[in-house]
Amino acid sequence: MNGGGPEFRELVGDDLGPEEDARLRQVHELLVAAGPPPELPPALARPPEERGAKVIGFPVRRRLGAAVVLAAAIAAAAFGGGYAVGHRGGGFRAEGAPIPMHGSSPAQLASIRLSSRDDAGNWPLLLRVKGLPDLPKGGYYELLLSRNGKPGPSCGTFRVHHGVTQVVLNAPYKLRAWDGWVIVEHLPGRPESGPILST
Amino acid sequence: MERVSAVEASDGELIERTGGGDRAAFELLYRRYARSVFGLALRRLGDRSRAEDAVQETFASIWRSAKSYRPERGPGAPWLYAVARNAIVDRARARAETPTEMPEEASGEAGPPERAEAGWVQWRVHRALEELPEREREVIALAYWSGLSQSEVAEFLGIPLGTVKTRTRAALARLAEILEGEEL
Repeated sequence: MNGGGPEFRELVGDDLGPEEDARLRQVHELLVAAGPPPELPPALARPPEERGAKVIGFPVRRRLGAAVVLAAAIAAAAFGGGYAVGHRGGGFRAEGAPIPMHGSSPAQLASIRLSSRDDAGNWPLLLRVKGLPDLPKGGYYELLLSRNGKPGPSCGTFRVHHGVTQVVLNAPYKLRAWDGWVIVEHLPGRPESGPILST
Repeated sequence: MERVSAVEASDGELIERTGGGDRAAFELLYRRYARSVFGLALRRLGDRSRAEDAVQETFASIWRSAKSYRPERGPGAPWLYAVARNAIVDRARARAETPTEMPEEASGEAGPPERAEAGWVQWRVHRALEELPEREREVIALAYWSGLSQSEVAEFLGIPLGTVKTRTRAALARLAEILEGEEL
């Protein structure tokens, strides 16, 4: 890895024909130039929802204008009964792309996969985390929603074992009020840590 | 209501179906493009909250104007890019700003043509990434933007190094195919 992205040769090897090599190198350079896709904030993880003629879930006043525009456009076309699909009890069903989380160390990584919101307002999510140390007895990690990096309400707690840990948690909140997630650490007798991993 | 028969439908087909009131097609377009629109809005507006609004407005505009799309005039991606760009520019103009003084010296930053070109490259690449199978997109993201070596990607995903290399090469080839297919 260098400042301009990973080494092309490490990625593709050296057994490609010259034409294919040049073709893939061009893509490689475009990827480096484009940079990472932005992480969608939770508010945009799903298309705007609509039921009947009423748009649901734009509680933030500054977004009211957009909501009204969208509601009018959608209602005018007799848009049907919303986007609720996916989590119907039973197993976890992820929707959309994974949302990566990063820590101060490259070895600490995590990703979040959201499922669909249920009728009660739950957003089940699958957290996959690697590289966090096991904590002593009584210690645990917590996933929190965040806004501008500042921790907000809890989506649940978990412990890790060496290797990769997967756990299903829940965000029973209006996600559009938040723009990301953080993971913090709790140790007995000590205050909550700052964010260890964040989106 | 007509249903989208396959995820592989072209952007143009999805826009046409959206114009006909197909909600599933609209949702597929959203999944394909929400991230690209958000990236473009962030680049232009520099503010996450306003960029979120711009994404909402862009898709409202797509829903409203999809009927006006004419496939014989060009593929769907540039049409969507134009709709998004217009929504973002409108959002930028709507910003209540106090007049600023003109700089006395030329800025060292990229000018409008360079910024437009960079925005279009970013749009195309991010859009193409959305087309990759998840397992291929995952190795690309880890290799390019998480700072992991191929061995570390293999360890993180719990798969053999050879599989990581195969997926990476396949992903690059698939991206090349997608991007070549979009060239005008």
